[in-house]
Amino acid sequence: MFGSIRIFMIGIMATAVIGGGVYVMKLRSDNAILKANAIKMESAITEQQELITKQKEDFQEILAANKKMNQLVSVLKKDLEDLDKRFNKKNRDVGKLAIAKTKSIERITNGASALATRCIEIASGSPLTEKEKNATKKSEINSECPSIANPNYIPY
Amino acid sequence: MLILTTFLTNCSGVKTLEIFKTEVEREKLNLDKPTPLELENLRWIIITSNNAEEVFKKLEEQGIDPVLWGLTDKDFELLAKNFARIRNQLKITNDLLDQYKEYYETETDKKDK
Repeated sequence: MFGSIRIFMIGIMATAVIGGGVYVMKLRSDNAILKANAIKMESAITEQQELITKQKEDFQEILAANKKMNQLVSVLKKDLEDLDKRFNKKNRDVGKLAIAKTKSIERITNGASALATRCIEIASGSPLTEKEKNATKKSEINSECPSIANPNYIPY
Repeated sequence: MLILTTFLTNCSGVKTLEIFKTEVEREKLNLDKPTPLELENLRWIIITSNNAEEVFKKLEEQGIDPVLWGLTDKDFELLAKNFARIRNQLKITNDLLDQYKEYYETETDKKDK
């Protein structure tokens, strides 16, 4: 009788010890998983932050590109308005002027035509010459398209 | 028999097939920009009712056929403005292309070119 109870008690104790061991092992395993998860989370957060920073940089770049293009469109528009003024300023009639001062208008036309030709070359990607880059005076600029030919010229 | 079976089965059994997927970035287009234009200068001659004879005479003296393509002062103005508009559009398109290249091509790509 006592023998059976003893065996039964030993069985319970052994089960408890094994169960405890298994439980501890599970805890260790969970702990290791949690640690790995924490490292992954930290890495993911860092990656996300890098992504957000990159997105912000991209956004700034897009804004800058838009601003640059808008500025270009507006200066080119001004060049076109200036051309219109050259023809029609103060009710100027180029035809009558050409009859009265044929030679000088011919010279002016040819000069302007050469400048306008250079403007097209620049617009197509031709690099600016040093003279064009350094022009700051009205007498030095390409009057047909100063906005693209003379970056250092400030109209006065 | 046992040795033969071992050789035939190579001891290890069937291995799990592993397929790797690696993201390959799309090849960069990196086209060269068009060569900038190099244009010829042209000569404008103004003819009025007063100088027409003189102009044609000079052309003949210079060995040039005495024929001219004419524009009125108004049409000349329109031609000048049309060219200015074409020039502006060319500049905008060219700069737009630069902006796209700058945004989408990395520093390395630019150096490679």
